[in-house]
Amino acid sequence: MSPAGVPGVVETVEAHGETTLVVDPARIVEACTHLRDAEGYNVLVDVAGVDYLGWGAKQVAGYIGTPAGRDIHAPGSQGFERVPAAKEKRFAVVYHLLRVSDDPARLRVEARLDDGEEIDSVIGVWPAADWNEREAYDLFGIVFRGHPYLVRILMPEDWEGHPLRKDYPLGGEPVRFSGEA
Amino acid sequence: MALGRRLPLVSDRPAAKAGLKSERILWPERGPGVFEQELESIEDALMTTTVEKAIAWAQSGSMWPDTFGLACCAIEMMSIVSSRYDIARFGMERFSSSPRQADLLIISGRMTHKMAAPARQVYDQMLEPKWVIAMGACASSGGMFNNYTVLQGVDKIFPVDIHVPGCPPRPEALMEGIVRLHEKIRAGVPPAYEIRGVAE
Amino acid sequence: MAVVPTTRIYEGTRIPERCPTILDVDPAAHDLDDILTVNFGPNHPSTHGVLRLIVQLDGEHVAGIEAVIGYLHTGFEKTMEHKTYWKGITYPERIDYLSFQANELVFVLAIEKLLGLETPEKATWMRMCLSELNRIHSHLVWLGTSALEMGAISMFWYAFRERDMVLDLFEMVTGVRMHTRYFQVGGLAEDIPEGFYEQAREFARHMPRAVNDYEALLDRNKIWLERTKGIGLLSAADALALAQSGPMLRGSGVDWDLRKAEPYLAYDEVDFDVPVYPNGDVYDRYKVHMDEMRASARIVSQCVTRLEELRGRPWIADDRKVVLPPREELHTSMESLIHHFKIVTEGYLVPEGQVYVAVESARGECGCYLVSDGGPKPWRVKFRAPSLAALQATATCVRGTAIADLIAVAASLDPVMGDVDR
Repeated sequence: MSPAGVPGVVETVEAHGETTLVVDPARIVEACTHLRDAEGYNVLVDVAGVDYLGWGAKQVAGYIGTPAGRDIHAPGSQGFERVPAAKEKRFAVVYHLLRVSDDPARLRVEARLDDGEEIDSVIGVWPAADWNEREAYDLFGIVFRGHPYLVRILMPEDWEGHPLRKDYPLGGEPVRFSGEA
Repeated sequence: MALGRRLPLVSDRPAAKAGLKSERILWPERGPGVFEQELESIEDALMTTTVEKAIAWAQSGSMWPDTFGLACCAIEMMSIVSSRYDIARFGMERFSSSPRQADLLIISGRMTHKMAAPARQVYDQMLEPKWVIAMGACASSGGMFNNYTVLQGVDKIFPVDIHVPGCPPRPEALMEGIVRLHEKIRAGVPPAYEIRGVAE
Repeated sequence: MAVVPTTRIYEGTRIPERCPTILDVDPAAHDLDDILTVNFGPNHPSTHGVLRLIVQLDGEHVAGIEAVIGYLHTGFEKTMEHKTYWKGITYPERIDYLSFQANELVFVLAIEKLLGLETPEKATWMRMCLSELNRIHSHLVWLGTSALEMGAISMFWYAFRERDMVLDLFEMVTGVRMHTRYFQVGGLAEDIPEGFYEQAREFARHMPRAVNDYEALLDRNKIWLERTKGIGLLSAADALALAQSGPMLRGSGVDWDLRKAEPYLAYDEVDFDVPVYPNGDVYDRYKVHMDEMRASARIVSQCVTRLEELRGRPWIADDRKVVLPPREELHTSMESLIHHFKIVTEGYLVPEGQVYVAVESARGECGCYLVSDGGPKPWRVKFRAPSLAALQATATCVRGTAIADLIAVAASLDPVMGDVDR
């Protein structure tokens, strides 16, 4: 059951027993404040960044199919895994919320951003966002406006580049006779 | 003449019953291995004097490790201090947090680029003679992490005497590494920085 | 009992205003000329791994603190994007290296949720049994090292004696002491050996007596009580605002345990108590840890009873698209050979989607956020680290403490740096 009346919601997705609210990034603080105060989501479990660069580019074709079976009659698939639909924006900042109370519930809030777009920090709503947002900045380069101390947290301070972006190489040493990294 | 009583077997000894199953204890008839034979030839080549042998015996008999536990291997390193694997038998239970009082640096765990600078400072603060054991796959070669942040082997920043493989190595494996280090010292092999040199 | 308590440990909030994780020196309370900045460097015997705390001291009192992390950032998440799911299972274990099976479990559960795969009952109960043994293991190491840091040095040897018993059980079942890599997508990697049941039951009988021994050493020790009672206070409201979970939360009076609130595996079928203590100090968190060890021992013996009834049943799901076929079949069946080949080389394909699965690890809520694009390798894996949340509470908990108390507070937060830095 997804919460109603949350400001800024663009889309609601229900899958695998979980609810995802896709929220307009300009109204993220409003939405989160509403969720905390009106709906009682008092714990911000996690803030994750996701980079969708190259999403759907790889042709995923498999003989194996899924455990649900291989349905050669499913339209558009010809029995192969369908290639996922392309995403309009490159990054997503995903907030996982939890309501610790006698009526527990979980919720995912997703805000989609382009490269270079900034988003407001929710540190005023939940102080737990502090290091998680710093990590998203460090590893993806997503800037959180209003964060009091947005510096690198996991990488050394003078590191260049944002490692978890898809166009950043894995690094390490080349291993002979080995196909994958 | 047949013996009237059964000779005590090695497997009856308390250490074996407590779980310690090292080859050296359970297989006393085993002769010297390749390592020991090589050490014998090194000893003859280096022709260490009695005084040097005495010094080497003293150094190896009470080598104080530095508490440089980084990750999972640190937990197995802590377990050699525990009573089952008891490193106090080798005089090494006094883990020193100050590198200035430590002889042995056991790098246990993955070394990242961010940690490499403090690690090098710790190594520089140790007084000669000093030895380094790279414990585990991550310290020896980067382990299963071949990426932008893990140093592919701690010997990129300082010379290592013994590499102990494993992920994490069993406490017995680490002890084997430590015992081999002692044997190296007693055979007269100089510490790694004298053999390989230390980059500045 | 209500989940969130109504009584308050302190009024208002103690979370620092400017930045929640940095305690700034208050110029009204301290003369800025008296402040000495000390670096609890990454190499330190009392920090649990490579944590760097920059502490500003006014005499013995902590006036300001800032934690610097990242010294163990291993790039797990990026590396796992390049490995197939099967090969990737070895990575999460090394994240929280004390409660390694919780990380394995959460990753495997996330994949199974996306696949929609059901595991056989034997696998569920064995996973539960090993998770509880792992909780005992983690709490034992916590107890040994924390007591060591606070001066109760002999506790280390007692705790590690029982820890070796737990590791013997792991070794018997999986072949390895730590980082067992026993949980597979679909169930377990191998069947359970016969001798496990007896030894596990014996251990579950022995463990509560061992916990009584530890409490006999510490609970009425005046030094221990002085060093832990009333130190490191964290109210329930602050704990929830800082996303605490596990013993940090239950030590502050919040009755929240994922095993009871959102049961996974078969936790709703076993009988155990969740300890909750109201005072929010280091002593209460210590008591939570001790009581959890007893509760885990109870769960282990119930699991062993159930597993003995399930002898001979399958330990992994039958779905050949995901699970490797048994080796005997490879000699006779062509399909099995092809499936084996495809699963090993390309890897099984996980349908597109995103899931978040959380389990109660020894430190709190350990979660895995998995985004899949339909391919054989994960698109994005993010592990929710309970230790990261716990460390964020450092600045709040050390208000008004002395430097010796800082050690006690850092110990009670139970951070594992592999978990924090990933």
